[in-house]
Amino acid sequence: MQTLLKILVRYSNFLVFIALEVAAFLLLSWNNVYPRSSLLSTANNVVAWQHQQISEIKAYFSLRTQNELLAAENAELRNQICSMDSAKTGDAIHYVPAKVVQMTTNELHNYLTINRGSKDGIQRGQGIRNEDGVVGIVRTVGRNYSVVLPVINTHTNLSCRFAKNDYIGTLQWDGKDSRFAQLTDVAAHMVVNPGDTIITSGLSPVFPEGIPVGIVENSILKEGDSYYTIRVRLYTNFKRLKYVEVVQNAAQQELEELENGLD
Amino acid sequence: MDWTKQLGRYILVMVLQVLLFDQLQLLGVCHPYIYVLCLLMMPITLPHSVDMLIGAAVGLIMDIFCNSLGVHTAACIFIMFIRPYLLGAIVSDKDRLNEQISLHSIGMEALIKYVVILVLVHHLTVFSLAAWSWYHIGFVLLETLVSSLITILIIIGYNALRYR
Repeated sequence: MQTLLKILVRYSNFLVFIALEVAAFLLLSWNNVYPRSSLLSTANNVVAWQHQQISEIKAYFSLRTQNELLAAENAELRNQICSMDSAKTGDAIHYVPAKVVQMTTNELHNYLTINRGSKDGIQRGQGIRNEDGVVGIVRTVGRNYSVVLPVINTHTNLSCRFAKNDYIGTLQWDGKDSRFAQLTDVAAHMVVNPGDTIITSGLSPVFPEGIPVGIVENSILKEGDSYYTIRVRLYTNFKRLKYVEVVQNAAQQELEELENGLD
Repeated sequence: MDWTKQLGRYILVMVLQVLLFDQLQLLGVCHPYIYVLCLLMMPITLPHSVDMLIGAAVGLIMDIFCNSLGVHTAACIFIMFIRPYLLGAIVSDKDRLNEQISLHSIGMEALIKYVVILVLVHHLTVFSLAAWSWYHIGFVLLETLVSSLITILIIIGYNALRYR
């Protein structure tokens, strides 16, 4: 008995070690075999709360990827809508998602650059829109990137119409405020109210009919003028433009050839 | 020995481990467990079995956060068990072990030997217990090497900055 006690005391540390390791391995095997104890796992409230906070912080870092996925999905959904529409009208329109890589908004001749080029099927003259409304028209096409002439460039002319009654006008920009553009060529006999919706006319092959452009902010008809000066608040926020879609109209080339043939 | 300071470091390092280092995902093989720093730097003043109990407690807390019940516990108990023997073999002046184990107390050469051996043992135990099969042996070894390297660099770096 005495000897046994002596041995126990002498090897007590080793025995404690063995006991603890056995306990740890029991935990390990128990955890592998049986459903986990909620207290001793991440289902524990404190631990779960901490993990949730972490994942919420991490979510910010994946926002960019999430945005890209959503933009691609938007373009895909729009394509599906278009293929439904084209079954009715015969137009074949295809949307390509793109990302704005560079943009100016405070010059007279603003341009923006998108990360799609000829290898993605982009051609000069194709329209650019985002989920809010029209953005601009492709001007120069490189292999991987394209330069776009946005609505807020004094060179741009865009054929538009009133949503309420098919009156046509031309959208231009005066170079002052990126939130507003001017609609010209609207005859004086027509009644213009603030809040009227302006959409694309579909008269040029650049944009299909009915893409939102903006709403009338105010209209001025000077004494003796036969045309209105209409200030349009654009739907597209150019200061925050990040993701856009290129409008590819299968009939565009054919329509342009036809028009050129007339000259 | 200032035990409040010791406890403060435990909390700080484990919070860092859970909030920062557990979130690292470099190529899937880098999981540095820097929390062993607290265990490694404890002086050899407490009874050996108490040391092992502290290791078990720290390991259990880490296991709860990592959802790996038993894995860190077993690894921590094991390094706390071999720690005094290893220190006894590396450090000749035994009085040195009554203060915090650091660059200051045992010197660079002994510190590197000590940290490298214990971190490798700890990480190898953790990763092989977590894998629980010979099938992943290559991946476990790679994971151990990469993660240990990071942990060792951080622990030695901490010592070099703190006690130069």
